[in-house]
Amino acid sequence: MAFLLIPLMFVLLSLIAPKGTVKYVGIAGAVASLFLTIAQVVQFNPSSYHTILNPAYTMPFGLTFEMGFDGIGLLMVMLTNVIVPLILLSNFNKAESEDRLFNAMTLFMQFGLIGVFTAMDGIMFYIFWELTLIPIFVIAYVYGSGERKKTLMKFFIYTFVGSLAMLLSLIAIGAYAEDFSYVNLLAVQLESAKAYWIMGGFFLAFAIKIPLFPFHTWQPDTYSTAPTAGTMLLSALMLKMALYGMIRWMIPLAPEALSDFKYIIIVLGLIGIIYAAIIAIKQQDIKRLFAFASISHVGLIAAGIVLFDKVTLSAVFIQILNHSFVAIGLFLAAGILEHRMKTRMLPELGGIAQVAPRFAFWFAVICFASVSVPFTSGFIGEFLLLKGLYIDNWIIGSLAGTTLVFGAVYTLRAYQLSMFGHKDNLQFEDLTWNEWITFFVLALLTLTIGIYPELVTNFIDPSLDKLYLQLQSAKTILP
Amino acid sequence: MDALIVVFLTGIVTMFIALAKKPAGVLLTAMTGLIAALVVLIMQWYVPKSIVSYEGLEFDRIAVLYSILAVVLTLLILVGGYAQFRKEPEHTGEYMSLLIFSLVGAMCMFSFTDLFMFFIGLEILSIPIYVMAGTRKGDVLSVEAALKYFFTGSFATGIFLFGTAFLYGATGSFQLNEIQMAIADGSAQGTLLGVGLLIMMASFLFKVGAAPFHFWGPDVYSGSPSIVTGYMAAVVKLAGLFAFMKLFTFVFGEQGYTIWSGALFGLIILTMFVGNLSALAQVRFKRVIAYSSIANAGYALIAVLTQDIASLWNLWVYLLGYGLSIVALLVIAQWVNDDEDRIDAFKGIARRKPFVGVVMITALLSLAGVPPLAGFFGKFMVFSAAFDQYPVLIIIAVINSAIGIYYYLKLVVVALSEPDQEQVTLEPLSFLSIAVLVIAMAGILVGGLLTL
Repeated sequence: MAFLLIPLMFVLLSLIAPKGTVKYVGIAGAVASLFLTIAQVVQFNPSSYHTILNPAYTMPFGLTFEMGFDGIGLLMVMLTNVIVPLILLSNFNKAESEDRLFNAMTLFMQFGLIGVFTAMDGIMFYIFWELTLIPIFVIAYVYGSGERKKTLMKFFIYTFVGSLAMLLSLIAIGAYAEDFSYVNLLAVQLESAKAYWIMGGFFLAFAIKIPLFPFHTWQPDTYSTAPTAGTMLLSALMLKMALYGMIRWMIPLAPEALSDFKYIIIVLGLIGIIYAAIIAIKQQDIKRLFAFASISHVGLIAAGIVLFDKVTLSAVFIQILNHSFVAIGLFLAAGILEHRMKTRMLPELGGIAQVAPRFAFWFAVICFASVSVPFTSGFIGEFLLLKGLYIDNWIIGSLAGTTLVFGAVYTLRAYQLSMFGHKDNLQFEDLTWNEWITFFVLALLTLTIGIYPELVTNFIDPSLDKLYLQLQSAKTILP
Repeated sequence: MDALIVVFLTGIVTMFIALAKKPAGVLLTAMTGLIAALVVLIMQWYVPKSIVSYEGLEFDRIAVLYSILAVVLTLLILVGGYAQFRKEPEHTGEYMSLLIFSLVGAMCMFSFTDLFMFFIGLEILSIPIYVMAGTRKGDVLSVEAALKYFFTGSFATGIFLFGTAFLYGATGSFQLNEIQMAIADGSAQGTLLGVGLLIMMASFLFKVGAAPFHFWGPDVYSGSPSIVTGYMAAVVKLAGLFAFMKLFTFVFGEQGYTIWSGALFGLIILTMFVGNLSALAQVRFKRVIAYSSIANAGYALIAVLTQDIASLWNLWVYLLGYGLSIVALLVIAQWVNDDEDRIDAFKGIARRKPFVGVVMITALLSLAGVPPLAGFFGKFMVFSAAFDQYPVLIIIAVINSAIGIYYYLKLVVVALSEPDQEQVTLEPLSFLSIAVLVIAMAGILVGGLLTL
């Protein structure tokens, strides 16, 4: 329960804190959540299930308020609680960190995300899922730049429409269940036509949020208009909700339709991998470049999820973590460049490595993690994902493998054009202490998971086993 | 029944207190009376009286439930509108007592057992509102609104009476239970019954502002003073929808259902599309609200269409979220700018007055159906109850919610954007209005989780 209450409490605290101390209150709240999670993780038995809220009371329309987490849920909560302090810390020297609204909304976002990852009731999941939309909209609108009105309305409406499709699916499946608690929803047996529509509704919501190929048009604009912190929240945490949702809700609730959707999703993911990578190669705006890179990377993750075998799913989680770390690092670097050079255009950048060696070094580390160099978490994740895809179908596996080549091309091109070369009289302030710590922690996390991935897999394997068992006992069909 | 008497006496006392031309005294009397009525109602909810049936009126628990909501909304509207009423001290009492008399009519419409009583309730509800719509006498639009509302309203009443005559011809009674029996045992005459039901349905659709009988809505809503608009959108619709449901879903029963359900099914779809699509292009705030309330009538009518005893409760929750949001929005609209009514006047309201901005955004998001606000739960309950019977209708309704999000979000964006430099300074919000907004917002935040 404290998981949810601490962010909420600090939302209120940061709203009433005196002007000068707001950012310290904000980060104190985030760090408090982090310590609480670490304490929980250390004593957590990966094969157990921990109840947060279970009032044993059902609303007349089936809402049970049930919340809790197993290994998967706790991993995602941990990720949230690691990322949010880093986001607040990395923005410590920006003007918005002095703002009450900014801190309150970031922590509110954290509250919503933790709710999404611990909801064990369909309606609760939907409530928290939608709840996260409001803080990110406010952050992006109030602190963003450029043509915000149109872009952000597109973003909001796009994702809201997807969510409504998910709501329809929930209503439809709820019509057959006793109430909306996860276990009871899992037990519903569906005819294949109904399962098809139900999975379709979920898929629309998640595909828009991830975003998968034809639903991605909101993403580059939104990422480039939002402030750095907003982009970080969107890419590192918000899209993870959709990936988590696919594993926790979409496939287990309607596995009857998985075979129908499997290759649709894999092919859409594959198109995203190649198409977004090619666009990224041509991009001049570094933030848009990383936005397209993100589409390319998550396409691979989404394709891996629908294989739904255990090894690939562990790889999916490693890649989820890796993508979060890399996204934070890359968008932080883009934010630093934009903030100090007043431009994001690659041709106007350059020569920075000579005047800011520390920045050049840490940016390079993150770039290597992004292109999946061995010993970084990206290597483990992408290797296992590609292996899974290759075993499933060698043509798809080989095509997906191009992500490694493309990834190296656009990342290294961005790095080269922005950092190398020579510029006279370049004024560029090297990393400040808070940015340095952020990069350092990110690099440390990436390397740790890259060298010792069992840290993650041991944590989630029992939960995955349990999910399989639950599905096996509840449903007759399983891949 | 006690509550009805209390409200009625409050109206009369308020009218006479008004002779002293002391607005504060009027407000105090009205508030005391309505709060007393609320207490009586709540007592009646917990301790049902042994004799509850009077000639033509029966305050069962459902009637008490809906009366509570109507009294609360009226109270919020009276207190929230006080800042406006006070500007004309000689008329404050009249305005307030007229609204209270209208509430008496609404309470009759919750508790009727007889079509006579229903008709009287309908007239008591409507006539004060015809007057109130025209209270901005200097404004042409307000006069137009009053006249338009009066003409179309009386016309609808006439149609209702016409339908009643057919119904009487078919069943031989005005008593609801006798009508119910006559229809159930098949002694009612088929053709007369069918024609009567459809004609009556038309008049009800007029009252709740559903397409294709909605044309009066936007003009009347945008011409009337904001507070009266709030009352029309919240309380009048509440009474109309409840009476609709009580008569059609429960009294006319299975046999009647086959006659009217098909027509209503089509009209709901039409209403939702007309409301939502027309709202997209509006540039005046109250017209957006007017079209949004047409669309909302469409969603609420889904509860009427659902043949399920739980839909009485679902409709209540739906109208709770809807009514509170509407009241909050129109209290804000009255404060920001009552005369010109442009959306631009709301520009940057969240930055200039954060509290008002938060309430406004919450109310808009609740209307749009964003969880966990009351509007979401209302919609969810209505939709999921109807899903088994009418899956296609629910899919269309959800598509409409998606359309709706656009114009609500447009207003949210206006509230969040940078204020213009030359904007008029806003007078400080009065304590009473703040109290109303706080109560409305609290209701929107937790209202969806109420259960009985």
